[in-house]
Amino acid sequence: MKDQLELMLKEAEQEIALCSNPNDILNTKAKYLGKKSALNSLYSRMKELSAEERPAFGNQLNLVRARIESLITERGNAIKEASWAKKAVVFDSSMPGMPLDRGGYHPLSIVRREIDEVFLSMGFEIAEAFDIEDEFHNFDALNTPQDHPSRNLADTFYVEGGKLLRTQTSTVQIRVMESYKPPIRIISPGRCYRNDKPDPSHSPVFHQVEALVVDKGISMSDLQDTLQNFAAIMFGPNVKSRIRPHFFPFTEPSAEMDISCVVCGGSGCRVCKQSGWLEMGGAGMVDPAVFDILGIDSEIYTGFAFGLGIERIAMLKYNIPDMRILFENDLRMLRQFKGEM
Amino acid sequence: MRIALSWLKRYLPVSPYEAGLADHLTFAGIEVEGIEELKALGHTVVAAKVISAEPVPKTDHLKLCVVDIGATEYAEKDENNQIQVICGAPNCEAGMMAVLALPGTALKEITIAKAKIRGIHSHGMLCSERELGLSENHAGIIHLPEDTAIGTLADQLFSLPDTIFELEITPNRSDLLGYIGIARDLSARLGLALIPPEANALPAANSSLKLGLINEEPELCPRYTARVFENVKIQESPLWLKTALIKSGLRPVNNVVDITNFVMLELGHPLHAFDYDQLESRDIQQDYPDIVVRKAFANETLVTLDGKNMVLGDANLVIADGKKASALAGVMGSKHSGITGQTRNIVLESAAFHPGNIRRTSYNLKLSSDSSYRFERHLSARYAKEISDRAAGLIMLLADAKGMGELLDNYPKEEEEIILGVRTSRFEHLIGFPISAEKMRETLEKLGFCYLQDAQYKPGIVKDILNLQMASPLDDPRTIAQYYRIPGYRKDISREADILEELARLIGYDKVPKITLMQQIMDRHAYRIQKKAAEWMVSWGAYETLNYSFTDPAQMEALGFNESELPYIQLLNPQSMNQSVMRVSLIPQLLTNLAYNLNHAERDIRLFELGKVYHKTSSAHTEPKHLGAICTGRVYPEHFKKPSQLLDYSWAKGCFEGLLSSLGIVSSMSPYQTPYLAEGEAYAYFYQDIMLGFYGRVTARVLEAWGVDSTNLKQEVWLMNWLLDDIVEICRNLATTYTNIPKFPAVTRDLSFLLSDKYRYGEIQETILALDPALVQRVQVFDEYRTKQIPEGYRSLSLHIVLQDQEKTLTDERVDALMASVQKTLSQKYEITMR
Repeated sequence: MKDQLELMLKEAEQEIALCSNPNDILNTKAKYLGKKSALNSLYSRMKELSAEERPAFGNQLNLVRARIESLITERGNAIKEASWAKKAVVFDSSMPGMPLDRGGYHPLSIVRREIDEVFLSMGFEIAEAFDIEDEFHNFDALNTPQDHPSRNLADTFYVEGGKLLRTQTSTVQIRVMESYKPPIRIISPGRCYRNDKPDPSHSPVFHQVEALVVDKGISMSDLQDTLQNFAAIMFGPNVKSRIRPHFFPFTEPSAEMDISCVVCGGSGCRVCKQSGWLEMGGAGMVDPAVFDILGIDSEIYTGFAFGLGIERIAMLKYNIPDMRILFENDLRMLRQFKGEM
Repeated sequence: MRIALSWLKRYLPVSPYEAGLADHLTFAGIEVEGIEELKALGHTVVAAKVISAEPVPKTDHLKLCVVDIGATEYAEKDENNQIQVICGAPNCEAGMMAVLALPGTALKEITIAKAKIRGIHSHGMLCSERELGLSENHAGIIHLPEDTAIGTLADQLFSLPDTIFELEITPNRSDLLGYIGIARDLSARLGLALIPPEANALPAANSSLKLGLINEEPELCPRYTARVFENVKIQESPLWLKTALIKSGLRPVNNVVDITNFVMLELGHPLHAFDYDQLESRDIQQDYPDIVVRKAFANETLVTLDGKNMVLGDANLVIADGKKASALAGVMGSKHSGITGQTRNIVLESAAFHPGNIRRTSYNLKLSSDSSYRFERHLSARYAKEISDRAAGLIMLLADAKGMGELLDNYPKEEEEIILGVRTSRFEHLIGFPISAEKMRETLEKLGFCYLQDAQYKPGIVKDILNLQMASPLDDPRTIAQYYRIPGYRKDISREADILEELARLIGYDKVPKITLMQQIMDRHAYRIQKKAAEWMVSWGAYETLNYSFTDPAQMEALGFNESELPYIQLLNPQSMNQSVMRVSLIPQLLTNLAYNLNHAERDIRLFELGKVYHKTSSAHTEPKHLGAICTGRVYPEHFKKPSQLLDYSWAKGCFEGLLSSLGIVSSMSPYQTPYLAEGEAYAYFYQDIMLGFYGRVTARVLEAWGVDSTNLKQEVWLMNWLLDDIVEICRNLATTYTNIPKFPAVTRDLSFLLSDKYRYGEIQETILALDPALVQRVQVFDEYRTKQIPEGYRSLSLHIVLQDQEKTLTDERVDALMASVQKTLSQKYEITMR
């Protein structure tokens, strides 16, 4: 039996060395280690041996078994690794990749989404309301006198049924304050309409974002800080903001807000007309008269509001020279913004 | 920590609040993790005397007991008030007092009935602690004290019924690790007066036994007290004490050990007792032993009370005698110095240890105990004497000590006092509602805070109360603070903010008003869906357009509508006729955008707009949002790997349906007829009966009207339009629920056949799915073609059919049977020819 074992090991060694594919390995494994293998039958023949011989022979059997097992594993791994060898010809990396591509957003949407995110992260909510409004929400509630020139047909579009197309998103302020008690902290992005002929800096349809904060203890310093944060996030940390006196019927004090010129950094250039500042929109503290109209106690609550033109921001940010470009929907323009989110 | 209501009542008259006690605990910041009700056992569970206990023949452990139940009513007792009971407990023996449950008793786990065991009648059961629901102990039956009156109700013996609260004590509150701490917090919450633990009067010190006390580590052991008791009688504790410990989850050992445990549970501060006679002196000349508080020597060993061999080092603080370590300080005593039945004289330790050192020792030696658990949470050194006194009183009372020594008290540096100011104004500022000065003082005094005076507020710990600026009635009340001396057991209080938390917690977080910080003005759901819809189109390669809100009424006519079908809102002062009405649809402008780009030599065009349209209704007007898209050209830009392919119905259908299904909407479709889309090539989609939108091919006539040369275009133009507002509303009520992933593998079978153009693929798909809905998971067409070999009016279809059983692995027989039935059904209903 001992001789038989040695012979078998030799035979197995030779056969394993000759294996050349995974199938050979499986067959060889079955032949030498399987249930019907010679090795297995030697195990069952152990009872023929005397009790003294048995442990030593059993030990030997186990050693042979382990030897064959490790040889097979080794050979199997070698075959596998050989099959992973480098391809003869690798691809030409200068050939074009698969041109599957996404589309892209309109630059006004890109700016609007960015503004949304800036204000959402500051704890603002987004509110929307009608484009087609009544005079109350567009003018009266915003403390606009009856004979104010902005109510003219030359400035405002009117539609049938005594309604008009809102001239600013401030209408949303009024609608929100009609339905909710302070604290209020909203932005309202949306379309506005003014009877302007399209030209490089005007469009009868344009987009605004209005911000409104009403709570106890809100002061102009909150407005300053919010504007500065907004300017820094939209245009970069070095951009400064300022407010300067102005007039709006629905804010008191009223202001216009500027940011330092994003082109020249404030030293003066063609874009900022050498002033170093760019006008961004109107702002101010909510006029007590507006609160009175809405039944909010202006002794307890104060608030600020401001409105930004999205077209203006987009034009500054992307250096777009003419507002009309934004409404042509030319793919050659749209494709330029696919890299924006 | 386990707290028994019956024991808690020693310190607080909580009876009127019992029903809501768990809530009061939870809202005081003491989380109740579990409540265990120990039910009353009733008049059939009584103390009984075992008169005799004889082995039952041919059994190895059963005993036949004759038991005296005294005056207890039981119909089958004999004239001597005796009954017989079989008992299997190893500790059952004649003469003992035990607890008997008579037939008819409903215990926690079983109901006792009269039984016949090995042919012998048994009238009830002698009970273990577990059987009575007192603990998990089932090693033997309860052994009552010999002087228990026969017939006493178990309810009376064990203070039943009772409630056990399993409490989670947060790590900052070491003071809650005893009944008195829990009672104190509750007293502040409920406004009840605390009943202090009874003080047993101590006799004058009279022992002649002497003890030396050397503290070498005052940093690690700021205070150590020791007291000798002479000639104590070590015995079992009285039943009330044992019951109290058992209910709190501790095993009674002997009276001295039980007393230290009882005082630990009562006051939250562990004690330790040594066998005086096992202690040796440091100086051989000295004829009395020493207690030495020191660091362990390198490799010094100690066998703990529970028999573990510890090898120590100088990181471990030990309580030693003159020669060897007798205890791991604050963690566990040694075996050799422990209290045993032979102990005659004892040393009682009441001490305070450095919490970090105890934690490290416990962690490094993997040894924790009720004692280390408490010390590592930081216990004050201030009360060591009072705690020792409490235990001493009990030892004198219950261990019959013949003499008691002086208290040896090593307390080199008195623990620093903390004095803090707290303002009512600050409470309102931080917590959100006002508190009166009276309520503040009342609550804090109930917690044991000692009110000193009112004065101007000064932040931080006050060193000298005399330096404070006194309050005057003219002061701004917001600057006035009440000053308190913080009790030593409140190691967690060191700032005004900590006191404010106490007040808020005890007055109740539920009293804090909800003040709006943020409104829910925004429709976040609509916002997200609009974002996702736009993102969907971008991911399908489309570019977003924005068009004016007003438009040219002639364009709607060019589409084939007249105004009566879709009334416009007119502008009264338009800039021009072609901007004179509000748009009712996104489509005309998308066609304009298409034509514009075709005119600029673009061929592959995908454009979308997400925006409002303006509908005139009888009463007012609406401004719903639509998502419209127009697409034409190649599916993929030219590439050497991909054949160029023009987008067609399947692209448009996939894009249209894909958005709906990516929002979780299951929709149905039906043909859509509209003048600008080719007949039979337009479909509208519905959810129940709500229209979601449509897609279709733009007719050549319409393209021509927009100036597109349709003859030379040679590619189809597809339109999609989703009614986004309706989709938003439908999605509001949809929810995703997880279903378990199937455990058994799916099987895929393929089927190829010829189908007449009379029939549609959808019918085939539905028919197969309906054959065995539990089995057929999916039907998917993977090939469609027509060749010259296939008869006119027929096409070849190839399908994957995916089968899966949720319950078991599929057998070939079952799969074959289903496939046969598929073939048969399709042949009969749709005249298919298998290929």
